[in-house]
Parts: sequence; structure tokens; C-alpha cells
Amino acid sequence: MIGGLVVNFGVPCLIFSTLTRLKVSLADFGAAAGVFSIAVLANIIVSMIILRLMKRDVGTFLPGTVFANNGNMGLPLCLFAFGPEGLALGISIFVVSATANFLLGVSFASGKMSLRETLTAPHLYVVIAALGFLFAGIDPPRWLSNTTHIIGGMSIPLMLLALGVSLARLKVSSVGQSLILAAFRIGFGFGAGLVLSWLFGLEGTARGVLILQCAMPSAVLNYIIAARFDKEPGEVAGLVISSTVLSLVTLPALLFVVIHGLN
Amino acid sequence: MALFSQLSSIVLPVFICAFIGFLWTKNEQPFDTDLVSILVYKISVPCLIIATFSKVKLDPEALGTLGLASTVLLASGGLVSAVFLRLMGLRFSSYLPAMTFSLAGSMGLPVCLFAFGPEGLAQALVFFTVTSIGTFTVGAAISAGRMSLDKLIREPSIWAAALALWFLWADWTLPEWVVNTTWLLGGIAIPLQLFSLGSSLGELRVSSLSRAIWLSIIKLSLGFFLGVGIAEIFGLTGVSRSVLILQAVMPVAVSNYMFALIYRREPAEVAGMVLISTAITAITLPALLAWLLTGN
Repeated sequence: MIGGLVVNFGVPCLIFSTLTRLKVSLADFGAAAGVFSIAVLANIIVSMIILRLMKRDVGTFLPGTVFANNGNMGLPLCLFAFGPEGLALGISIFVVSATANFLLGVSFASGKMSLRETLTAPHLYVVIAALGFLFAGIDPPRWLSNTTHIIGGMSIPLMLLALGVSLARLKVSSVGQSLILAAFRIGFGFGAGLVLSWLFGLEGTARGVLILQCAMPSAVLNYIIAARFDKEPGEVAGLVISSTVLSLVTLPALLFVVIHGLN
Repeated sequence: MALFSQLSSIVLPVFICAFIGFLWTKNEQPFDTDLVSILVYKISVPCLIIATFSKVKLDPEALGTLGLASTVLLASGGLVSAVFLRLMGLRFSSYLPAMTFSLAGSMGLPVCLFAFGPEGLAQALVFFTVTSIGTFTVGAAISAGRMSLDKLIREPSIWAAALALWFLWADWTLPEWVVNTTWLLGGIAIPLQLFSLGSSLGELRVSSLSRAIWLSIIKLSLGFFLGVGIAEIFGLTGVSRSVLILQAVMPVAVSNYMFALIYRREPAEVAGMVLISTAITAITLPALLAWLLTGN
């Protein structure tokens, strides 16, 4: 029920409120989403190769190595590390990631594309509405911005609490190999973020948010999908847990790098 | 037009959120009231109190005056209502808590926040804390027929308020991670409280509306006159005066219905008062806000 409230009302309101309040330029918004999509593609290709080499089932593990917790972990980190501007760019990445995670995750697990559930997700329409306001250069009425602001305010804390609850409920079957995949998830993500931000000349907040979001641990959604389609959920849970634990160690270093730079 | 836009920016978010909760329940979606009340009252509200008071530096003396004024307001409201009820021959245990305790949390907090910003929220939290103490001690005692301090001591928001007060007094600053964490968790309270309000309004079992109508009118107008009068006596001005008056004219709190349900004190009657007073507020609140915001 909390999950339903967050997905149907909280997150759409958070997206709308952050994007319209902040006046991020469409170019920055698009750049973040675009560069992140390239990172996802690169990750998919390299993951396929690695999973083949490790003789693991690609359909089972690929979503776990590619898609990260860009919502319930990435967004608060972007907010606290870079302020509201960071949150706006983090959201642009989150929208891409959540949509792709759902679409590709379900497709890989079920073996067929499912566009319907992706297209009925409310956050897509909210992004369009928010971009409409931004594009037209008009402020949404204050009642609307106030309403979306308070409803949006519950999303991040509830998502974090839900993350804790779902981590506690995961049934892990093996940790050994999942630790390698977890290290790949975070390490490759970090490298891809670093290289791509250099290639595209991203700086400051845009660079920091991209690297941060790329190096998040594996998304809990991967476990939920794996459990629904019975694709070795215990193994996927191992990947989610071990990458989350690993991020406890990597996060402080990661934050140091994105805030202070490498030099 | 500017006033209309300002009023709608205060009132509409409250009613939209409550309406979402109402629709959620009407669509047969499960609404876990126990989980929500734990999230809201055990976790989020205490955090909201700590975060708000660490960001809004109120003068401890002004805070004390507002706290005292809130206490006097509740006490005198209770006394006058008791006289009324005695004259009408209605039972205290069923009606007195509903006449005294208003929706200072789920409705009072967002209204004061949107009308007066964080400073308004901080002052509304003072009234809310006094109301909570009153509800858990006197209110519960009237419904249950006996006094118990257990509930009060187990209420984290009381501890949070004491802590916030202490920090304000000693002029200490909390570390940034505490402020960030409490501020984040504090964001849950207002929307979930409003969803929950709407959801419970949708589930109320109401009987005889006629008595509920005039009791609600008495409660709201009594609140208004006491609010204006007590603000005058305590010399409150500006935001604190407006917050006290607004909080005094909030509708009957849903928690009264919960108590009535638990202790079998004519819950259907109390439900009627909750429903009717909330409906009346939809009209009186914009009028009251217009009056307060245009400087009377």
C-alpha cells in the first residue's frame, strides 16, 4: 500500500515539483538523460560478455548488473551532495533508468517485450507535463506546485524505508559469485560515468550526478521482477544485497571523488 | 485575483491530498491505518518537530507564550463546551473530546505552512504538541474514564518537542546529518496524514446529522472567538496570532473518532461531527484566511 502510494502519487509529484521549481534547462535535462542512456547501453554490452564468460544466464543476471538503485538511493544522494539542482538532474537519470529497468527487466525475465506496463506508468506523463511548463516558460499555479511539493516530499524517505524493508526480506542463496557481479556493477558503472562525463565534457554537478547515479548498487526492482518470473530470485537477491553492502564501502570514496574531483 | 490565487494555494493542497486518500479507500485499495500511524506519529512527526525547530530559530520566550496561549485556549474551550453539553444534557465522555480537540496536525500544519511559510509551521507545531499532550492525557481520560500517563510517555513527538525546546534554549545547533535525516523523514507526515484523513472520512459510519451540524457550528465559532480573544489577552501579533486563530478553528480531530470507537462512546455521533465540521471548514477556512491575510 505504501509502495502504491509512492509509485502512483509520491514519485510523479516529486518529479513534477522538482523539475518545475528548479527551472533546469532542457538542454541539461536532456544531456543527463542522453549520456546516461549511453552508459546503460555500454553496460548492457559489457555485461553480456562477462556473463557469457562466467557461464551465467544472461536473462537472469543482466538486469541486476545493468540497472541500479537510481531512485531510492540515487536521488537522496544527489540531493544531499549537490542540492536541488543535483536532484533535478538525478531525476532525469532516474526516469530513464526506471523506464528502461522495467521495460528491459521484464522483457529479459519473461522473454517478451511488454510495452503496456511501461506506457501506463504515471511518471512518464508527469515528465511530459513538467517539460511542457518548462518549455512554455510559465509557472504552474501555486496550488499545484504546493500540492505536488508536499506529496513529493514523502517519496524519498518512504523509498528509503522501503529499501531497508525489502533488503531485510530478501532470501539470499549464494554470495560468492554475486560479489564479483556486484563489484562489476559498481566498478564498471563508476568507470563508465567517469569516461562518459569526460567524453561529453560534463562538469560540476552534471558530472557528479552522472558518476554517482552510474555507480549505485543493483536495484531492488530486479529482485522483484526475478521473483515474479521465478528467475533464480535467490541469486539476484545475492547480487542486490552484496552490491548494497559493497556500496557502503565505495560510497564515501565515490562522494569524495564527485565532490572534490580526482586531483 | 491575487488573493484568490493565494487562498487556493493554501486550501486546495489540503483538500486534494485528503481527496486522494478518500478515492484510494473508495476504490477498495487497502489503506493500512496502523502502518501509516506508526510512520507518521512514531517516526515522521518527531522528525518534523526536530527539523523545523533546527531551521526556524524562534525566540524561546515567544515560544513559551504561544505554548501557554495554546494551553489556555484548549482548557477554556473544554470548559465552555462542558457547560454547553451539561445544559443540553449530552454526555461528556462522548462529546467533550470532539468539542475540544481539533485537527491541529493533518489540517493545521499544512495550512499554516502554506499561509506563513516555515515560521508558520514552527508555530503550528507548538499548538499541535500542546493538543497532542491534551489528547493523550485529558482526552483519553475523558473517553476511557481514567487517566493514564503511559501513552504520553510512549509518544516520541513529546520527547522530540522537549529535545527541540532544550536545543533552542541552550542555543545549540544539531549536526548537519541529523538535520538532513530528520528533515527527510519529516516530509512523510503531512501528505500521509492528509491521505489518512481522507481515507477515514470515507469510512466513517455516520448517524443523526442534525445534532452534528449544530455541535460543529458551536465548536467552530467557539474556537474562533476564543482564538481571537486569547490572542488579544496574550498580546500575540502577526504570524503567531494568525496561527493560534487558525488552529482554534480547525475541524473536529479524527483521533476523537478513534477514541470513541475504542471506548464505545457513540462513535457514529462523533463521526458525524468530524464529517460536518470538515465540510463546514471547506467554506469557513478560505474566509478566515482571507480575513487574516488581508490584515483583518
